[in-house]
Amino acid sequence: MKNLLPLTWAVAANSFGESVRHRFFTLFSVFAFTAIYASVLAGVMAVDEEARVLADLGLALMELTALAYVLFQASSSLLKEAETKTIYLVFSRPVPRWIYLAGKMGGVMLTAAFMLAVMSCMHVALLYFRGFSLPAAYGWALAGSFCKLAVITAFAFFVSLFSTSSVSTLVISGILWTLGHFVSETRFMAEHAYGAKAVLLKAVIWLIPNLQLFNARDAAGAAAAIAPSAFLSGAAWILAAYLASLWLLARKEF
Amino acid sequence: MPGAGSRAPHGLGLLLAALLALGAGGGAAYYGYNSPFPPPQEIRVPPQGAAGDMFALAFGARRLFADMWFVRLMQYYGTEEFAGDDEHENEPGHKHDAHCRHGANFGTGKYPGFLPMARHILEIDPGFVSAGLYGAGSLAFNMGRTAEAEELLAYGLRYSPKEWKYLKVLAAIGYSKAEDPAAVAGQIQPLLKEPDCPVMLKQLAAFLNKKIGNYAAAAVIYADIAATSRDEAYVLNARRELARLARRTVR
Repeated sequence: MKNLLPLTWAVAANSFGESVRHRFFTLFSVFAFTAIYASVLAGVMAVDEEARVLADLGLALMELTALAYVLFQASSSLLKEAETKTIYLVFSRPVPRWIYLAGKMGGVMLTAAFMLAVMSCMHVALLYFRGFSLPAAYGWALAGSFCKLAVITAFAFFVSLFSTSSVSTLVISGILWTLGHFVSETRFMAEHAYGAKAVLLKAVIWLIPNLQLFNARDAAGAAAAIAPSAFLSGAAWILAAYLASLWLLARKEF
Repeated sequence: MPGAGSRAPHGLGLLLAALLALGAGGGAAYYGYNSPFPPPQEIRVPPQGAAGDMFALAFGARRLFADMWFVRLMQYYGTEEFAGDDEHENEPGHKHDAHCRHGANFGTGKYPGFLPMARHILEIDPGFVSAGLYGAGSLAFNMGRTAEAEELLAYGLRYSPKEWKYLKVLAAIGYSKAEDPAAVAGQIQPLLKEPDCPVMLKQLAAFLNKKIGNYAAAAVIYADIAATSRDEAYVLNARRELARLARRTVR
């Protein structure tokens, strides 16, 4: 039992190392830096609301850039290892599948955290350079973005195990991301619907992770704090995606 | 512990556990979350805005798209409806009439799309108080459309019922209808120290103070605008007014 944690960490660290060494990581980083810097232009257009626009645009760009990269990683990670037969090498060693999967997911989540940390350093520097202080609840906004990325990463792993290509995984995960932000609107529709339609919509609300729970970026002031129940929901969704992924992984022949 | 590359326990048990976890997460979210945003039926999409609103909801970027709508509103309001007026301001014998857009007429115009655009910002992000104040202030004090300003503030108050700044502007509108500039200036005064106070309200307070003969207070507000605003038009206007007030003091 005492070997399990170092083993998981070894897989996660390896996955993280692969992610940050990938040439796309540099490409995404350059894109993010350029986009965040270009947000100065939008800020200037907002005149007296420059601080707000710079903060909002920067946080949104950081989240979307990190989302694109982690989805790319999550969709191709297992597929690539199966195609290159690397997975056989891993499984020829005393590495259980559940540890391998946890490590792989953890590695991509670490990548998401690392990307957010690096981009937020640049964003904060830009805000200070323009003469603005740190926006209220900035930490909550970053924490919320990370939670959203962690949930979608777990689901992307699950999708990657049954989809035929990494592109389809990207598309399905992207749709899930969108639906996750529409849960409030779906709930509104469910409350105004009757019969089978209402039942179907309510089922969707229970099955789709409500990413608005973590959307501290869009909340203002004290409302930006993420509720403890939201973290519980997030953990439950990650666990659900992990268990479902494990179920699929266990059925595969390597 | 399973052996090398061994399969984890699989079958329906694992799938059932996944579904249970998914249901638990969904249940906690269902009962633990109430959207602070207006329901979709309240979003009245202005022309050319549907795609942007879809992205605002789909990417959870309401604040960002509300910012964009605010920039659009300022561009719309910043586009002159009357051409060729301000260049004559410094000419000798120039009289401030209904056709010039500085002094008492700063920001006047018809701008029929102003209310729908201003309201749309609050429909997307009801927490954008500064935009609500800017919209209501411009409608009431620059364009003389107090009913529309009150409508906008009433909408803002529906989602921010404790927002005292909205109430202050609402009271100021009431006094402006009674043509009591001193009371209007008094109502706006507490807003001026707030970081999200729109510069147009500062400009209005300065103008009203000047109108009622409180030149010292007007100068303080104009100096604040000149020092803090990033809006060049307001800064230039504030500097111009400060110079005028200084000349008045010298005389």
